[in-house]
Amino acid sequence: MPSLKNIAADSPPEQPARRIFDTGFLFLALSALLAGVLVVVLKGWERAVEIALSELWFMTVLAPKIAAGMFIAATLPLLLPRDKVAIWIGRESGLRGLLLAALAGAAIPGGPAMTFPLAASFGLVGADVGAIMTFVSSWALLSLNRTLIWEFSFLPVDLVSWRILLCLPVPILVGMAARAVFGRSSE
Amino acid sequence: MNILIGTVLLGAVALWLYLRLPNAEWRAAGMANAWRMAQFTAPRIIVALLGAGFFAELLPPEKVRALFGEGAGVSGVLLAIALGPITPGGAFVAFAVGAAALKAGATSSLVVTYVTAWSLYSASRFLAYELPLMGRQLALRRLILCLPVPFVIAGAAHVF
Repeated sequence: MPSLKNIAADSPPEQPARRIFDTGFLFLALSALLAGVLVVVLKGWERAVEIALSELWFMTVLAPKIAAGMFIAATLPLLLPRDKVAIWIGRESGLRGLLLAALAGAAIPGGPAMTFPLAASFGLVGADVGAIMTFVSSWALLSLNRTLIWEFSFLPVDLVSWRILLCLPVPILVGMAARAVFGRSSE
Repeated sequence: MNILIGTVLLGAVALWLYLRLPNAEWRAAGMANAWRMAQFTAPRIIVALLGAGFFAELLPPEKVRALFGEGAGVSGVLLAIALGPITPGGAFVAFAVGAAALKAGATSSLVVTYVTAWSLYSASRFLAYELPLMGRQLALRRLILCLPVPFVIAGAAHVF
């Protein structure tokens, strides 16, 4: 990681705010409500309350991990400005560019609202379509933050390890396929 | 145990990042960002985990075993891949659905297939984020290039 200390004299960059209640949230809430009503109708109130309490307990157990993960996802963009990451990836070509893009996709935390604009900005600073495809598929398949916070919380270790091992070469292969099919421009 | 390991790992990284922030102003900005993210994420997590718990209760184990258990064959693979894109919400929903299916008797390889299909083709993410933010051409190219991946992963997971 490059030196992060040269920013001491500057103020931290502003981060954009997001709407808390959007259509995605509404859809999620309605699906949960529907499932809850079905459980009450089919299995009774007691079972529904029991499930709700066990889920709330699970959430409490996960809370410290989620808080740490959110702090990382919220702080890293301050220390590693997007334009800098984009320039590193844009500068590299060949297999090195794809490897760097895969690494960045797995390591940079953040949801789709942060990742896709970053990927789109790679094209502006000279990255080719292969690097962009590698970055996006690496984030989708191998995001470290997501695996540590969510995947390991729900699924068994051996299953997650197998999935990651099987998916490990995929982002590079997708990038190579993109270069073979669409050429090297980012248009 | 998984949860404890993840907590310690992420806690250590968070602490390291906090110490790397150059001064109090940056630390305050980091905390403010984290707080904003928590306000956005917490309601989603609560609703999604409750929904996932109810959903798991509604899954009939004998149906899950028939569709996704040992001997489900190609139709199980196709169904697991088809369910990926239509899973709503964030990562926690997909993993919770996978965990519920696993408990009800689905095979590990089909759960891996489902998670891979969701990761690459989530329809809500594609329509709400990828298409508008990446533009039609890049978004569609990415989708087409990734199309064979869950099938290949399903084959590989089955072999291993």
